[in-house]
Amino acid sequence: MTTENARERIHTFLREHTGGQPLADTDDFFALGYVNSLFAMQLAAFVEKEFALTLGPDDMDFDNFRTVNGLVRLATSRTSAQS
Amino acid sequence: MNHTHRNDQPPAPARGGPTRVALHTPVPGALGPEIERRLYFVSPRISGFALVGDGDTVTAVDLTTRAPCEEEGLEAKVNRMVDNDVRPQMPTRPKSVWTSPHERAADGDTFERLAAAGAVAEVGEGQVAVGEPLLSLFAYFDRAVLGILAQDHSAREFRYPTLIRTSTLERAGYFTSFPQHLMFVTRLHNDIDVYRSFQESYPRTGIGPSVLQSCGNVDYCLPPTMCYHTFAQYGGRALEGEGLHVVTSRGKSFRFEAGYSTTLERLWDFTIREIVFLGSREDVARARERYMRKVFAFLEELGLSGWCEVGNDPFFSGSDASARIWSQRLQELKYELRLPVGPDRSIAVGSFNFHDDLFGRAFDITRGEGPAHSGCVGFGLERLVFAFLSQFGTDEQDWPDPVRTGVRAAGGI
Repeated sequence: MTTENARERIHTFLREHTGGQPLADTDDFFALGYVNSLFAMQLAAFVEKEFALTLGPDDMDFDNFRTVNGLVRLATSRTSAQS
Repeated sequence: MNHTHRNDQPPAPARGGPTRVALHTPVPGALGPEIERRLYFVSPRISGFALVGDGDTVTAVDLTTRAPCEEEGLEAKVNRMVDNDVRPQMPTRPKSVWTSPHERAADGDTFERLAAAGAVAEVGEGQVAVGEPLLSLFAYFDRAVLGILAQDHSAREFRYPTLIRTSTLERAGYFTSFPQHLMFVTRLHNDIDVYRSFQESYPRTGIGPSVLQSCGNVDYCLPPTMCYHTFAQYGGRALEGEGLHVVTSRGKSFRFEAGYSTTLERLWDFTIREIVFLGSREDVARARERYMRKVFAFLEELGLSGWCEVGNDPFFSGSDASARIWSQRLQELKYELRLPVGPDRSIAVGSFNFHDDLFGRAFDITRGEGPAHSGCVGFGLERLVFAFLSQFGTDEQDWPDPVRTGVRAAGGI
């Protein structure tokens, strides 16, 4: 899986949950009010399923969840050699 | 909101051998405290507990029960609580945002010492009468935290009634979040036949649960914290101006905690000094951070030991309890200030909370085009004073100068 591939899949998922708001890779969609705080749990479940990852305590940094770039970093963290 | 009871469980007396309840699937050891803080609410028969495991995982719970445990389904109840409220939480690393440079030894027998001196008296479960020197310290710490607030904000102070509308708690989502703490206030239904029937029957039957049949009013509760009063007060209003609105109040708060012991560490009836910030997301977040840092500096100046860590509220039994807990921890919506009160014991004496727009939406408090954001800070004044006494002792001569001077200036001891 490439970084760009992951980025696209993350954008697709977020579009479904942010009312189609245009989202830059560095936009904090929690701070922008596009999602509520409970959406974080859905995001974590999405990342685990979509990228076949098991998230651990070290992944639980909000910076990994609040921007597209953060999610890409999280999704590709176990496969960085391929990206 | 100020829900701060992690790791505060009192030791319970052992009565008979424990009953081992196996978890059908082990839970990561990091979630152990989340199991502990809920066990007393699983069944009134539970009077004590110990987690069983190897540190990395919890595999079972040893329960001490009030009578030989015949209750079928206790195992199912424990597992249901763990499955709903604990297991889905993804473990996060403990994170401190402040640690005091001071390492004071805390005296774990402070309550006994105060009781022997007549300064405190237990008058009921989780209910303690307090006298001097606690009253003066109470006033000192309350003034001190308000003084720190006044450096940056012109807060409006209110004194709220003790009762709070049940509908206000419902609007705040309290029923789905914290049913275990609820305290309804009721009264005999105002009907002459009800009064007469009550007067006739109670000498024979005594006052028992059957008396509730003559009540039926559940329109008011005891408040679990002060900030819901503030949200109700601002409900349906648009915040005026660009700046932050800061409201503070002090009042008695009540939470049923199920497990009490004879100390000021865990009270059913306690006093909160609450500060609510209402405004933009950025202003509220900045105000919480700035105020929190100043409180830490104040504690350091006094020489208290302690730390402040990412915390979470004890959401119980709701369908999204785990998601809410995990979201709180991930997003650092709650910081809990903990002070040692014994060699291996600490208590939460305050919390610094960011609500996002949760209560702005729930209470229809608007700012500009959208809902207002909010945050709150709550100090448990009995706990703060108790932690101070545990670390500095009851002799005024041993207290730090600012405390001694402050207490004397206010006409205290």
